[in-house]
Amino acid sequence: MTEFEPNIVAFLCNWCSYAGADLAGTSRLKYPPNVKVIRVMCSGRVNPMFVVNALQQGADGVLIGGCHPGDCHYVQGNYFARRRMAILKKLLEYIGIDSRRVRMAWVSAAEGNKFADVIKTVTEDVKQIGPMQHFRRSNEW
Amino acid sequence: MVNLDKLRETVKEMLTREDVKYVVGYEKGTYGFRVSPSFAFIPEDVDKFIFSPLCVNNLTIYPMLEEKLPLPKDEKEDARKIGIVVKGCDSKAAVQIIQEKGMKREHVVLIGVPCTGVVNPRKIKARFSHQGKNVDVEEKNGKFVFVIDGAIHAIPKEELIFDKCKHCENPTPVLYDVLLGDEIHSTEKEDYEEVKAFEERSFGEKWDYWKKQFERCIRCYACRNVCPMCYCKKCMVDQLSPQWVRRSTNLSENAAWNIMRAYHLAGRCIGCGECERVCPMGIPLTELNKKLQKDVKQIFSYTAGLSLDKKPLLAIFSPEDPKEFIL
Repeated sequence: MTEFEPNIVAFLCNWCSYAGADLAGTSRLKYPPNVKVIRVMCSGRVNPMFVVNALQQGADGVLIGGCHPGDCHYVQGNYFARRRMAILKKLLEYIGIDSRRVRMAWVSAAEGNKFADVIKTVTEDVKQIGPMQHFRRSNEW
Repeated sequence: MVNLDKLRETVKEMLTREDVKYVVGYEKGTYGFRVSPSFAFIPEDVDKFIFSPLCVNNLTIYPMLEEKLPLPKDEKEDARKIGIVVKGCDSKAAVQIIQEKGMKREHVVLIGVPCTGVVNPRKIKARFSHQGKNVDVEEKNGKFVFVIDGAIHAIPKEELIFDKCKHCENPTPVLYDVLLGDEIHSTEKEDYEEVKAFEERSFGEKWDYWKKQFERCIRCYACRNVCPMCYCKKCMVDQLSPQWVRRSTNLSENAAWNIMRAYHLAGRCIGCGECERVCPMGIPLTELNKKLQKDVKQIFSYTAGLSLDKKPLLAIFSPEDPKEFIL
């Protein structure tokens, strides 16, 4: 049997995490290829609906990457995102979805190594939990 | 409970004022144990106003539901106030809406009614399922007393009231312009025991439970329409571009809708329980709301609907917010 390869959707902020991912790439660091990156202007742009929709449409895990607290390009966007995700994770947990599927990480533009580590941890965690089969959207019309 | 004459007198007096457009209260329903919202535009309308333990509806939605058509040129907006008869929980909804700047404080007149618990229509219907004629229920010495076909029934209060009323922390309205009757002080504390017990279960058990509930949802959106906090001009489920939630009723879309409905009420839900009352499928929606209420209280020490000066929960942040889940 082939090993389960999770799908991970990463919402990375344009100013820090996306640049961090870029750095990881240019410095030729190895990290699991399971991650699909979506660039957003700020982690505060991530509507909890994005997360739920990603889980519906085939993601097994969702990662939200933002700047370190205090470093946000928009000053406070990541603080708001943190608050939102804290509540969303509690709710998902209550409904019976392992909250490790939704992760958040602060990765700055200089932390290519950290980015690779984050992706590794998230992928391993989601591999351990198994595929997301709770409320997958079936594409039958 | 409340002296009816005093209620009617107060509303009548209010309607004679220039700056009040109309007053929303309760009137007798047409059948069974129903009570329906009533609108009084002229003092004569007030004679049908009642207040009894059957008055469950949260009337705070009415100023939010009012249709505001685009005004013709040179015409000014009708800035007159709307009067609402509010119980403890309804007044919290009003506070929360005003806090979020959904409406202005000057736009409403709140007639506060201290409430000692209202009858859960489901519970009373389970006992008297074929009641055709309208019945009046009175509260006497901790019992609900009513007459059906000449027979007097007296049922202990605990058996008929809503579960939310058993642990009500604010029986007296938080915000009011006129208070009818004496203030009631409650020593009850919401302990969230059911929520805590459910949290202990495993992920599999939790999902099995919610899967069964969500599968039954028919997405009539009655929970949204009755909710005083759901006053967005365009709800995210009605949007077509982007279409966040598809219209078909299947587990996936129902789960997405129910998660987002509960999420959008995080730190805003005042726990009036209207969503669960109107749910035609009997989905325990308040359990989700209560869970978020509990967590918000615990993590951010924030309770919705208690003060006008506080800012909404998700509109502020603190550097000390939880960070243990961040990598």
